[in-house]
Order: sequence, then structure tokens, then C-alpha cells
Amino acid sequence: MSSVTHSDPHAHHGHGVGEELPHEPERATLEGRNKILGFWLFLGGECVLFGTLFAVYLTLRNSTLGGPSGVELFDLVLVAWATFLLLTSSLTSVFAIQAMHMKNVKQIMFWLGITVLLGAGFLGLEIYEFYHYVHEGHSFSSSAFGTSFYSLVGFHGAHVAFGILWISLLIVQLWKKGLTVVTAPKIYVSALYWHFIDVVWVFIFTLVYLMGRMG
Amino acid sequence: MAGTEHTVEHASTSELTVRRKQRHEGPRNHLLTFGLSIMLTALSFVAVAYALTEDSHVEPWFVSFFIVGLAIFQAVIQLGFWMHMKDKGHGYAIVGIAFGFFVALTCLAAGLLWSWW
Repeated sequence: MSSVTHSDPHAHHGHGVGEELPHEPERATLEGRNKILGFWLFLGGECVLFGTLFAVYLTLRNSTLGGPSGVELFDLVLVAWATFLLLTSSLTSVFAIQAMHMKNVKQIMFWLGITVLLGAGFLGLEIYEFYHYVHEGHSFSSSAFGTSFYSLVGFHGAHVAFGILWISLLIVQLWKKGLTVVTAPKIYVSALYWHFIDVVWVFIFTLVYLMGRMG
Repeated sequence: MAGTEHTVEHASTSELTVRRKQRHEGPRNHLLTFGLSIMLTALSFVAVAYALTEDSHVEPWFVSFFIVGLAIFQAVIQLGFWMHMKDKGHGYAIVGIAFGFFVALTCLAAGLLWSWW
């Protein structure tokens, strides 16, 4: 009987929440384990993407072409709020994974929903910030500083926007199909993605905003 | 079938608690990671706010190194606890992301050397 639980994960395909679901449903199938491994390799590639954008920004950040510099532009209070929202959303996505290990679908959907809302709040602050900067004469094409700033911070914001869309769709899928060995790896991998976006933001608020404010 | 399911449930309940103790330590570590992240972030902001005050005597380059150090520390604990890199079976995950970090840091070093010299 217990062999059904552990070594024949395909028997669970299409089931909703069931007691027979394995303990770590995200790792119960080879497909699930490969998905997680492949996602880590993708995150390695993401490191390269953001690393190059950081390198370009740090190289060009003083080339303001007479326009406003980071010292004049950056508002640390706004950045602190954005940081707090994103950090908290990273914690709530951990709670979603813990709810998944408890096999509580409603709780997973609840915590993923909170994660999406906090992410949307972060994105709202960023859009407000960019809108404000453009009115101060700091735009994508105003200087090398502008181009490298919007490329780096904008790429991160685009990742947040994509994550919001992705996790929202996963909530819909959970609602329709329940927690299975097929949906579990997707939830796990989306949480990895969300944490990674938060880790990138740690370096953005440090290297772009805090160091930029000091000149 | 219903009877079978029942026995399955019984057989796995004790095992489940054992395994949960081993692998899912509950929210404690995750809340600690959150608290530590908030503190490290606050420390960075306060350090810069202090460096920006009129009568501070700290060098900006020193504050920069300090806050980059805090950022790296925060990244490591989030990778370890929130992304489960400290758990078993993450050998290839570590190789994958470490290689990414290596290439990223090489680009950073190249960019900075190019702009400084």
C-alpha cells in the first residue's frame, strides 16, 4: 500500500487534494525534479543577465550628460517602502510552499494571492517613481546614466510583472486542477523565481539607490 | 478502495511526522530569515542616511563596502533558507547558480576595470 504512495507517482495524475499525495509532491516525479534542476540552471543564466546590466550601470552611472544625477533624484523613503513590500512578498511565498507541504490548497492560494498583491504594490511604486523621474528630466534616452538605469531597474520590474502574471495563472490552475504532482513543481519553481527576484532587488537597492545617493 | 485508502493514510501518518521533522522545520527559520533580512536592510539604509548627514566623518567608500557586504550576506541567507539551497540534493543547483555568479562577477570586474583605468 505504501508503495503506491511512494514509488508510483503517476497513479496520482489528475487527482485533487488527496491523502495519497506524496510528502514532497514537487519532487515526487522525475519530471518535477528535473524541472527544479532546470530552473536553477535558468537562474544561473539570470545571474549573468543581471550581472551584465549591473556592470553597465556601475560603469556609466556618472555619465549624466548634464542631467540630474542619482544624488538629486533618488528618494530613499520610497525605495525603503518598495524594499519592504518585496521582502514581505518573498516571505509570503515561503508560506505558500509550507502550505503546499501541508497539502492545504486554500492556504496555498491565499498566500500566493498575498504575494501577487504585494508584488503589484511594489510595481505600482516603481511606475510612480519612473513617471516622477521622467518629469525631472531623467529618461531612457537622456544620458548613458538614464539608459543603463532604466535597463537594469526596468528589467527587474519586468521580471516582477512577469512573476505577477505567472503566479496569478498558477492560482487559477490550482483552483481548477487542485494540488497534484503536476501542479506542485510549478508552484515550487515559481516561488524560487520570486525569491530570486527579491535577491536581485537587494543588490539594486544597495548598488543603485544607496550608493547612488552617496554619489 | 475506501478501506485501502484508510490503511495507506494510517501507514504514512507516523512516517509523515518523522519526515516533516527532518525536512520541514516549520516557519521558524523562515521568520528568522525575514527578521534578519529586515535588520540588514535597515542597517544599510541607516548607514547611508548617517553618511549623508553634515557632521559624519565616515568615508563614502567605506560605507559602500559595508553595505555591499550586508547585501551579499542577505543574499546568502535568502538563497540558503528561502530557496532551500542548504537542504540535501542541491549539488547541481549550487553548481548552476555559482557558475552564473562567476560569469556575472567577471563582467562586473571587467566593467569596473575598464571605467577606472
